[in-house]
Amino acid sequence: MMSGPLAHIPKKWIPVFRKGYAPTLGVITALAATVLLAGTAAAQQVTCPVKIGGILPLTGSMAPITKKISEAALLAIEHINAGGGIKGCPVQFILRDDQGQSTVGVDAAKYLVEIERVQAITGTVSSGVTAPIIASVTAPSKVVQISCCSTASPLTTDGRSQGYFFRTLPTSKTQAYATASEMARRGLKKTAVIYVNTDFGLDMNRFARAALPKLGGEIVIEVPYNDNQPNYRAEVTRALAAKPESLLLIGFPKDAVTIVREWLSLGGSQKIALNNSMRVKDFVDGVGARFLNESFGMDNAQVEGPQVDVFNKAFEAKYKYDSKGPGVHTQYDAVMAIALAMNIATELTGPAIKDAVRRIHTAGGTVVGTGSEEFKQALELIKAGKPIRYSGATGPFEFDPNGDVTGPALVWKIENGEIKTDRIISIDDMQALFKQVGN
Amino acid sequence: MIGVLSYAVFFASIVLILAVLALGLNLQWGYTGLFNAGVAGFYAVGGYAYAITTAAPKPDMIGHLGWHWSFGILAAMAASALAAWIVGLATIRLRDDYLAITTFGIATTIQLVTLNWESLTGGPNGLAAVPRPMAEAFASPLGFNLFYLALLAAIVLIVYVALERIVRSPWGRVLKAIREDETAAIALGKSAVRFRLEAFVIGSVLMGLAGALYVGFIGFVSPFDFLPIVTFQVWAMVIVGGSGNNRGALLGALIVWGIWSLSGIAVAKSLPPHLAAQGGAMQVILIGLLLVLSLLWRPRGLIGEEPMVSHHAAESA
Repeated sequence: MMSGPLAHIPKKWIPVFRKGYAPTLGVITALAATVLLAGTAAAQQVTCPVKIGGILPLTGSMAPITKKISEAALLAIEHINAGGGIKGCPVQFILRDDQGQSTVGVDAAKYLVEIERVQAITGTVSSGVTAPIIASVTAPSKVVQISCCSTASPLTTDGRSQGYFFRTLPTSKTQAYATASEMARRGLKKTAVIYVNTDFGLDMNRFARAALPKLGGEIVIEVPYNDNQPNYRAEVTRALAAKPESLLLIGFPKDAVTIVREWLSLGGSQKIALNNSMRVKDFVDGVGARFLNESFGMDNAQVEGPQVDVFNKAFEAKYKYDSKGPGVHTQYDAVMAIALAMNIATELTGPAIKDAVRRIHTAGGTVVGTGSEEFKQALELIKAGKPIRYSGATGPFEFDPNGDVTGPALVWKIENGEIKTDRIISIDDMQALFKQVGN
Repeated sequence: MIGVLSYAVFFASIVLILAVLALGLNLQWGYTGLFNAGVAGFYAVGGYAYAITTAAPKPDMIGHLGWHWSFGILAAMAASALAAWIVGLATIRLRDDYLAITTFGIATTIQLVTLNWESLTGGPNGLAAVPRPMAEAFASPLGFNLFYLALLAAIVLIVYVALERIVRSPWGRVLKAIREDETAAIALGKSAVRFRLEAFVIGSVLMGLAGALYVGFIGFVSPFDFLPIVTFQVWAMVIVGGSGNNRGALLGALIVWGIWSLSGIAVAKSLPPHLAAQGGAMQVILIGLLLVLSLLWRPRGLIGEEPMVSHHAAESA
């Protein structure tokens, strides 16, 4: 029975005051009040600090690759602040975890937009989380969103983002076509394709299927796999049943290690083509370097050049390991693109920033690169009204009308346990390749 | 302050959608003792049914009927009812852990179907441009969110009142009897299979309704909205709130989603920038800690089941 001061009131009238409710609701409300009220600020004037939001899968199945990606973002913020910030104000970067779950990601995005009043967001990695964020938060609220790593083609092509979504990595088409061309160049025949059953894997497979036959290769079987399984014997056996002489593996490192080991132990060929996610030491060590000497992979090329070197050096100096890996360079460029656009924009509102994004790479503009010194120079040029052309950690990219970028591709190989760049396929070669396959 | 209001409205909407899920699971587990570990599956059936029936027609896609959103919601409930009926007929005799494993497997199967049947579900890319109820009528996102919150509140109220009525009815008492002592209930002439199936279907209809409401809110659906973590979250809501009590389910939805969401905010606000990359791990630890603490403090859930005393006992006292 209820005791205490409220004992005379019938239970069912005021359920919230029953013992047990109150303290817990109290904690939640207190927590909510502190965090919500602490963060309110005016939207339209430039109040310092200027906030940029970030959403990344810091935990969940993508966590191993996201650590470096988030570090690249933080490095960009450091360079921006050292180079002068945005509209004279320092930048505050608020990074939230989406845990690989769409509801959590959408909630984080809404928080950033409404409570923190960020005018631009960078995020996220999984297209399954980026898509609902665009649909329910950034497009309706007119907030610019630049993703380092979401590859699903419809995000930019079906118009749902109303022009507010950009991404600094080329979609799977570039990677798939480039992989196919390298496979043909190396004379790989009778390829089995094993691909992860996500939008990324499906896209890559579809483009590879379109490209490979036109370049002289042949796909004998396509086998999808679902990620996060402990065992892939069934998929590998099915692939081997078609008597392939080479393998195209599209997926992510953790499961890829399992698949490749299964493939090799069941007698599969060592001629293996990989996608960009496998370009990590964990993959090489997991499979065993001695089995990978005939393997190669693709990645979006960070064109070698002074700007890329500046970024790589700065990254290594700060974090004590190299900057190789998926999403690292594209994330740096995404944050830099946001900061440059926000400086160019006439006011810090979504529509103004959206219009300014493509003015970071004006044709004929003065080239500005990576690092805080170059950013400082860029700000001086912007203040003087002169056009700039940003050449970033992924080289000189341009956003097309949909918000996608095109760029060169890179072939990497594994030699004695080391991941080495084999060759670069330039933007011009990529254009020629697109024409050859017939787009 | 508009920002705080906007976020609060959004937050409350998600809580209400999850509350419908929790109410459905509470009917299945709390009142009937059915260990349904496949919540995400029926959630997915409802969500996709809504998207497929309301999306505008497209040449290479099955479905895409372009119906009005209210019919989409009804279609979602009907689809979940059908799915639950089929699953139920096959599995309803299973006990506890066996039912749990089976329903978990079914939910995974449903998710894989949505991932693969591209012409129906859009495959991994999902279905975009799903109409959001009355979205065209509102110029600002806040306007739409307020309307949707009102709609959700009305629906949750109706569902809550309806559930309270049926669990206090003779039908509800039989459910409890079956949960407590099935043999005795059967000996008294009640068909345990029939009641369990009915509770399973009604609970799943609510889960399908929640799916439709979620997809209508976001305007997009993909297989990645229905991962097993969702099942875990809804179970946590029912257990933490108190199973066997509808108010408990509502409270559990608020508390568990509150923990999930506010922990992220607290971590983002309290960590210095250079530790931001660790923020995700801190948040997950905090969530686990709060869930464990909440259960240590109130092992039977925040609101326990109401003890029911038989009318006859009261009369003879």
